[in-house]
Amino acid sequence: MFEIAARSVGVSLAATLVAACFALPGALWIVYGRSRQRIVLLGVFNVGLGLPPVAVGLAVAFTFWRSGPLGWLDLLYTPVAMVVAQTLVITPLMGTLAVVALRAVDPSLNDQLAALTVPARSRLRLLAREAIPGLLAAALAGFGRAIAEVGAAQMTGGNIEGQTRVLTTATMLEVSRGRFGAAFADVAVLLGIVAIVAGGMLVLQARWR
Amino acid sequence: MNGRGISARRGQFHLAIDAFDAGTNGTALLGRNGAGKSTLLLVLQGLIAYDGVVDRPKRCAGVFAQPAVLRGSVLWNVAAIARAVIGLDERIARKRAKMVLSRVALGDVLDLDARRLSSGQRQRLALARALAIEPQALFLDEPFANVDADGRPALRQLVGDYLAESRCTLVLATQNLIDVTTLCKKAMVLENGRPVQTLDTSDIDTSKNQYLQALIAESSVAR
Repeated sequence: MFEIAARSVGVSLAATLVAACFALPGALWIVYGRSRQRIVLLGVFNVGLGLPPVAVGLAVAFTFWRSGPLGWLDLLYTPVAMVVAQTLVITPLMGTLAVVALRAVDPSLNDQLAALTVPARSRLRLLAREAIPGLLAAALAGFGRAIAEVGAAQMTGGNIEGQTRVLTTATMLEVSRGRFGAAFADVAVLLGIVAIVAGGMLVLQARWR
Repeated sequence: MNGRGISARRGQFHLAIDAFDAGTNGTALLGRNGAGKSTLLLVLQGLIAYDGVVDRPKRCAGVFAQPAVLRGSVLWNVAAIARAVIGLDERIARKRAKMVLSRVALGDVLDLDARRLSSGQRQRLALARALAIEPQALFLDEPFANVDADGRPALRQLVGDYLAESRCTLVLATQNLIDVTTLCKKAMVLENGRPVQTLDTSDIDTSKNQYLQALIAESSVAR
């Protein structure tokens, strides 16, 4: 049980970190960039919000299929494939929330920093820092969606015991076997993890008021 | 610094300045609300889109009429900018920030959250932040408007001293005649986005311009 819970947390955390590497720069570009193509990325984020994890899981599984375009990597039914699928599921969510968080920052700050000839890179760093409470909420939402989702995890991980079984896929399995007690235990652990992460987020947000 | 053939639009408003020159003697931008002073300052700083050519030094510092501040302490606000712009290491940046902040009389509130400052204190912070990066051009938009009356002379002195020792260019938009006469040798009067008069500040007293006459009348009524 501990091993399954740890894998759930590990895979979701990895997906959240990878997604943040796309979502935050993407959101910064959407909010502070000058190019007209920004709207395209925002559209991609918005469409991605409604993307069913099962569909993403299917697409990723197909890509990693033995005969698929990336089949030679031999990654299907590994935690790496799960991280890839979950990253695709949560990046649009985190990106959209990050855009909202950045837009809430005083718009004259960007001009003010430019007026002090702060280099672009430092400027974006300082502006992102202003939005930290909102960005933390975006990360929490991403992690929450990743750890709670079952479709993509099942499709790309395959629920292999000792290798890719996570709390959600384990729960599904236990229910299908009629072992409801075990299923409830899995769900209780899942809720516990979410509660701990949310608590940690509260502490961080209190610090960054 | 100088500009040639400047043209900028903001909604209905059109700013058109054929030639703008500012040296180390300080240039005041004068005129009524909406005459284009702030817009010209933004163009000179390259912060809004414009046509024409503006030649500005590499390191500039602007102080807005309503300065925006970063989340964090007063000290951090100044030190972080000094680090980002001139790449000072943290210890030296904090030391410099402390020194400049004490000169704008914010030495007692170094650890206060900058977002909780009053508008006058924010202007002091904005001035400190601008001077901390040792700019080659300084753009001030009503920099002392909300500062307490007995604090203004010290701030003018601070800016004046910096200009004298650094040979920095100053462009100042203001409604205050004392700012003009203490910090600037040249003045440009704007009306509806066009320059209507360029003169030495020592000649303001004898100008026929209606706005300038009102400016002088008001400051003599006060006495």
